[in-house]
Amino acid sequence: MIALSDSPNNTRFRLLARIVVAVFVVLSHRQIYADAPSSTGPTTHQPVNYLQQIKPLLASRCYACHGSLKEKSGLRLDTAKSMKQGGESGPAIVPGDADASEVIRRTTTDDISERMPPEGEGEPLTVQEVELLRLWIANGASAPDDEKPEPDARQHWSFRPRVRPSVPQVSRDAQLRNPIDSFIADQFDRYGLVAQPEASRSVLIRRLYLDLVGVPPTTDEFDRCFSDVSAQWYEALVDRLLIDPRHADRWARHWMDIWRYADGSGLGTELRTSHDNVWHWRDWIVESLKSDVPYDEMVRQMLAADEIYPDDLQKVRATGFLARNYSRFSRTQWMEETVEHVGKGFLGMTFNCARCHDHKYDPIEQVDYYKMRAFFEPYLVRVDLLPSDVDLSRGGVPRVYDASLTVPTYLLVRGQENNPLRENPVQPGVPRIFEFMTCAVEPLQLPTEAYQPERRPWLLDVHLQSAKAKLATAESAARQAQQELAEKKVKQKAEENIEKKAEKRAEKESTDENKSNDLDVEEAFIGLRLAIAQAEFVSVERRVAATIARKALSSGELTEGILPEPAHSQALAACQAERQVTVLQAQYAVEEAEQKLKSAEPDKKKPIEESLATLRESLAKAILERDQPTEQFSGLGGGATRVETRFINNQGPDPVEEFPTQSSGRRTALARWITDPTNPLTARVAANHFWARHMGAPLVATTFEFGRKGTPPSHPELLDWLASELVESGWSMKHLHRMIVTSAAYRRTTSVAGAQANLQKDPDNRYWWRRTPIRLESQVIRDSILAISGEIDFTQGGQPIASENQAASTRRSVYFVHSGNDRNLFLSMFDDASAIECYRRDESIVPQQALALSNSRLVYDASLRIAERLTASIPPAEHTETDFIRAAFRLVLNTEPSREELLACSDAMATWHSLPDVAQDARPDFRCRCNLVRTLLNDNDFVTLR
Amino acid sequence: MNEKRHAMARRVPAVPRRAFLADVGWGFTGLVMGAMLQREGRANVGAWAPPTGQPHFAPKAKSVIWLFMNGGVSQMESFDPKPMITKYAGKSISETPFADVQNPKKLADVREFAKGQNTTQRNTLYPLQIGFRKHGESGIEVSDWFPHIARNIDKISIVRSMWTTDNDHGAQTQFHTGRHMLDGQFPTLGGWVHYGLGNLNDNLPQFISIGAREYWNRRDGSYLGPAHDAVPLRIDPENPLDFGRPEGGVAIAEQQVSYDLVKRLSGLRGVEYPSDPAMAARIASYELAFKMQHSIPRVLDFSDETAETKAKYGLDLPHCKEFGTQLLAARRFVERGVRFIQVQHGGGGAGQWDAHGGLKGNHEKNSLAVDQPIGALLEDLDRSGLLDETIVLFATEFGRTPGAQGSDGRDHHPFAFSVWMAGGGIKRGVVHGATDELGFHAVENRHYVTDIHATILQQLGLDSRKIEVPGRKRLAIDHGVPITEIIA
Repeated sequence: MIALSDSPNNTRFRLLARIVVAVFVVLSHRQIYADAPSSTGPTTHQPVNYLQQIKPLLASRCYACHGSLKEKSGLRLDTAKSMKQGGESGPAIVPGDADASEVIRRTTTDDISERMPPEGEGEPLTVQEVELLRLWIANGASAPDDEKPEPDARQHWSFRPRVRPSVPQVSRDAQLRNPIDSFIADQFDRYGLVAQPEASRSVLIRRLYLDLVGVPPTTDEFDRCFSDVSAQWYEALVDRLLIDPRHADRWARHWMDIWRYADGSGLGTELRTSHDNVWHWRDWIVESLKSDVPYDEMVRQMLAADEIYPDDLQKVRATGFLARNYSRFSRTQWMEETVEHVGKGFLGMTFNCARCHDHKYDPIEQVDYYKMRAFFEPYLVRVDLLPSDVDLSRGGVPRVYDASLTVPTYLLVRGQENNPLRENPVQPGVPRIFEFMTCAVEPLQLPTEAYQPERRPWLLDVHLQSAKAKLATAESAARQAQQELAEKKVKQKAEENIEKKAEKRAEKESTDENKSNDLDVEEAFIGLRLAIAQAEFVSVERRVAATIARKALSSGELTEGILPEPAHSQALAACQAERQVTVLQAQYAVEEAEQKLKSAEPDKKKPIEESLATLRESLAKAILERDQPTEQFSGLGGGATRVETRFINNQGPDPVEEFPTQSSGRRTALARWITDPTNPLTARVAANHFWARHMGAPLVATTFEFGRKGTPPSHPELLDWLASELVESGWSMKHLHRMIVTSAAYRRTTSVAGAQANLQKDPDNRYWWRRTPIRLESQVIRDSILAISGEIDFTQGGQPIASENQAASTRRSVYFVHSGNDRNLFLSMFDDASAIECYRRDESIVPQQALALSNSRLVYDASLRIAERLTASIPPAEHTETDFIRAAFRLVLNTEPSREELLACSDAMATWHSLPDVAQDARPDFRCRCNLVRTLLNDNDFVTLR
Repeated sequence: MNEKRHAMARRVPAVPRRAFLADVGWGFTGLVMGAMLQREGRANVGAWAPPTGQPHFAPKAKSVIWLFMNGGVSQMESFDPKPMITKYAGKSISETPFADVQNPKKLADVREFAKGQNTTQRNTLYPLQIGFRKHGESGIEVSDWFPHIARNIDKISIVRSMWTTDNDHGAQTQFHTGRHMLDGQFPTLGGWVHYGLGNLNDNLPQFISIGAREYWNRRDGSYLGPAHDAVPLRIDPENPLDFGRPEGGVAIAEQQVSYDLVKRLSGLRGVEYPSDPAMAARIASYELAFKMQHSIPRVLDFSDETAETKAKYGLDLPHCKEFGTQLLAARRFVERGVRFIQVQHGGGGAGQWDAHGGLKGNHEKNSLAVDQPIGALLEDLDRSGLLDETIVLFATEFGRTPGAQGSDGRDHHPFAFSVWMAGGGIKRGVVHGATDELGFHAVENRHYVTDIHATILQQLGLDSRKIEVPGRKRLAIDHGVPITEIIA
């Protein structure tokens, strides 16, 4: 009945399930349960099946130490033969005599030092498990004669070198468009599957747009492709879309999932993880995809741009990948996240499983985990100003740098932070199995400006521009205040005139005077505030000039007591300008206090008088100092600030040291090792991600786990071929996109119509005989709604849109704030990426999605605009409901409605018309049209990539 | 049992889940796992299969009302009175006969997220801020801040020997998932229950979260998938659900036509795309959405409750109106077959019970807000017989220090705290476990937070080891051990 090795379980299970359901229906729920908790163990009458009952038990509980990975005490338990043979403590089993068998003794002993699995390595076996073992041994410990030992862990498929496979010769005249199809068709031959036909052109056009740029085509775009008579229309469209800037936004989001993009978040205003400016890294991803920066180069830059390109802040933005792991209080957590996700994201390896003990499945020892951590141990995060940062308080790129070249990494016993092995610091390195190339670490000298960012030549200009901007803001604030004041004065005059007409003029006089006095005082303060802003600008300007003059001097001249001219007078001027700000501020304080004194109650005047005296003194002192300037003036800020950490104690920041002149070179070494073409994992892991996102399912189901615990690839040769294409094209992402989307496999229909035989053999489409439909990602759904309504704003880059501005924003969803605490509600309904970890999106179908698509303001507003657009686009002469329905199908779903669909929609329109709520509407026709549009936005195929 | 609940119980087995969704029907929350697994062909997962929605053994309870006090309730001033701290008030712990509680070995369990955060031992003993007395036939001592709960003490099992490892408010997450904040994100108990058990009512979400949710992991489902996240509800019949009402004045009748059209179009699409499980799931999800839109406001419409009931829950008292409304809603949800209801009390910052200063005023106010509604809930459930199959849990993330913080507060204290459970086959009028004389350490029958999870799962008929997900290794401590001593 079933031909494929992996599906019997599945189908059998479903059949079983049906039967079970039938039974359930007639029973009361209290009688139904799989087995009671107190179910007794097997009795001696029951035969024990070694392959089904014993081997899986030993595999899950014992093989990690007594199998191919390790042979502790010389013992292997992966065949009955090796159990009889035993290890250093003699045979593990004595067939026929359970009590004499070491395996039973060691799993049942009360002596914790003797017990297997050892404490901390695994839970003790349950009573039932021991009983099973006992019974199997008592029955003679039979096993198949040809039992094979566990395969060598080092020979696991993904650890072996990648060799470009030759393209198979396929006998049939299958749909072959490129080598991908030969690999796929090869499996068809084996399993007797037949490919489904190609999807219709309209489906293909929509598919390419949504997949490559993340929004459906406009009517014009669609028509252009649809009427293209060239045989190469498809390839031409692919080329256009791959250079379309929108492609970068769309695919950036995919990589942001995998690379764990998260905006800064914390508690209240306190930053606890990532950084508010980490969006610079997102912009770097978008820009890199736009210009097809090779994958390996992107990985290197994310891990070590600060070492490889220390002078290039644009590239250093890439290290936001590591800066994102910032954790204010816990270095351990920071390092754990870094090791775990560098492993999962780039290598498909779960290093994190070796934090507390040796890896149970892969040849990774516990020390390897800490060797990996040692690559990252020196780095911390700092924020460097960019030439474009006008607002100094919000500007800067969060980036990494090595803060210490000597900080040790200790192995933590059982992963416990308070239990480090101090006597034996761990050096950076890779697990032995991966030593295919040397991973030599060499410290490097940094260019001066990297560790003394205050020397960056453009930095002074940033300060100047920033001061100008600040002054402009102050000036416009002053103008506005003055204008308001003027209006108040006019109003007051008018009121005075009215009052003058009244008789009690004399009585009023004193109050009037007070009022106009108040306004005069206000005016004086506005003037003073502006004067301070102007003085601040002059201060920056003079200090910039003085800094330049001082820099121009040779080092010899600098050591002298007094600067030579003109640097000397520039310095004096800078000093004086700076002190002028102090004077004005002091003056402001004095005048404020004087006003306070005036309005204070008599009994409250004393303390104010006292503080006023102090303030006057300060003012006098400031004036004195200003008039006797020296060469000393404040620097303008270094251009880089370390992001505060509180590892030592939560009560205060950790001490800050100067930026070192060297970098450890550790991350560069790791980056080169990861991106070396001979690394067996990197390209395979990446190729799998490309495939999964284009095709709807990966070749290796466990996208972050390529180790022995993971799922083996369904098409190992195809995966290796794709990985080889990636590497040999110079790691060009666009090349791999093109290869995949131009394959016949990609172009097939998602329909299973007429494919009953395939469905029987491969119901899960594991062998790609059809295309797998994809429930669109949250971002694509929102972007598509905005695109269809014509409102979408394709502006790229910049600060993320904050929650409070998202409802009104028409920017693409990739530019919305996305952090642990803060995600858009509409997006979160559609399985939005977790900011913590997302190697694959879920594709749930839940009622909350129906509510979001039918009830949200976003969809409601869009339906109005779309209905308006459509109404306007139809020439009045043929203005029928049928035309409207057709146009709506074309715009929303890129398809022509069938006769039946037209009928269904017309029926619905008629029903809407007949409803009292609609009939009473000022524009009943329009309301029906909006309803129709909204319904189509709720269509399964609107949120599905067919 | 009344008529309505009989009908409910019969429906349980009729709604199978997940593994065979495509064949027989759709669980309320859809088909995440079903679809994903279908795609991957279950190739390498051996004998693993997703839960069927059936319990593994005969359940004693069907529903859970999970009351969580955000911020950390003082154990000494609630359910574990300690006269010794009054006796030695003002003395340093080292001057008392109980100095050994600060033995570093005994303090080793704690894991600090932020170092120096609340780790300074609060040495000077701070006296009890409230009296306590014995209640009920069991004679269990309860502080005078909880008279309504105390009145029901003979329905309750108190566990006085809880401990946890996080001394930060990440312990809120820890209480729900069993894992420390530093370990990453994991499903909460509600997520597991939702994943493991089928529906009791197809018109209502089976996992609901009410009240301010401050803890760090806001996704209950975590790696089980978003379908197992709690559905957050506001107890406001006008606006209970996100996107719960059409915008722009679209009438319900219009929406009905719209949903019918969605369904009809999907049916037509089925000609081109036959046997598409997603399409079927989507039709089902629209039907459910439409029902939910109406059923939830109906549950939250209390007009059929008597004035007496409302008064019992304190709906006419400003200080407990909010929590009382939430608990009355919880009772109505349980009545209608909702599986798991989380009710959080005290949002804002780290949680309202976080009495670093002014403990007396703080706990007085908070207990006033929750005590009467909880007493009403217990009595209400007991009277209708629902308490027999509903577990009510009262919990918090950790205790508070016996020593003073500042002049009048208590700090975080992970070494000992109290929780209690009632109903669903839990013993009535029992105290289990004990702390030392100062309430500093749990010393007798110590329980880590997952023992609570294990106890609840046991009562619901679930074996947590049978619903594990491949590739997500759980340790013994994640599963916990049922507290058999409090199970009837």
